[in-house]
Amino acid sequence: MVDEAVLLKTFQSGDPSEALTSLFETYADQIYRLANGILADANAAEDVVQETFLQALTHRHQFEGRASLGTWLYRIAYNAAQDRLRRKPVSPLPGDEVDGDDEEHIPMPKSFIEWRWSPEEIMADREARHELERAIHSLPEKLRTVFLLRDIEELSTDATADALGITPGAVKVRLHRARLDLRERLSHYFEERSHGDRL
Amino acid sequence: MMTCEELLQYLSDYIDNNLSEELSAEARAHLATCHNCHVVLDTTRETITLYRKCGDECIPSERRAGLFQRLQNALVEREHYRISS
Repeated sequence: MVDEAVLLKTFQSGDPSEALTSLFETYADQIYRLANGILADANAAEDVVQETFLQALTHRHQFEGRASLGTWLYRIAYNAAQDRLRRKPVSPLPGDEVDGDDEEHIPMPKSFIEWRWSPEEIMADREARHELERAIHSLPEKLRTVFLLRDIEELSTDATADALGITPGAVKVRLHRARLDLRERLSHYFEERSHGDRL
Repeated sequence: MMTCEELLQYLSDYIDNNLSEELSAEARAHLATCHNCHVVLDTTRETITLYRKCGDECIPSERRAGLFQRLQNALVEREHYRISS
């Protein structure tokens, strides 16, 4: 891992190409996952990756180092994905029709069955994996994005708050709702599947 | 004694080890006696594990090379523009 201070100095120099290569290698996949998670469109996600690095290059002298370079890139990518979401001519993803601002409402669990299969068995089942995708895309975008950054990319609460321009408190509430929503959806799915003998 | 509603409220902080020792002990005591809350805790943890396992999605390698090349081209174009102007 390249030292962040050295990387930043090179990135803000007259020849940023080496630093850009290093940043691309480190963050391109993470940015792609975030954008694809928001947009559910692999081609658009690739465009967001491109746009993120080009914007970072253009504005590299404005970066003051208050957050990490990674958090700054996530923020650019998030805004780029949001712009595309607003311009999208097709219907929003199902979850985006739900108002994600009702953050104080914590859904009460309704399903209390234990899951019969190990994560490995679930991951090996094509239908179950499809259900995982369907469930995460059913979440309102605000919840989905926080879940992606906190639980999949494993960013801290503060880094997620910085990347999304929201308070750490809002990150915690959205994450809590996202986890419970997903758990409930998957529990219902596995409950139905458990009527058969196997996945 | 912590109630189910309180446990639910603190569930994510419990999973993330963000509770005080006192609240954490209360949560453990509740979980030891409440089957439903224990199931909710376990399946929430499994939910996170599953999505983390899904999270290894990368840009397809051939597309990744093309994307990087586009970025390099854009960089060269910018430098060329900067020098020529």
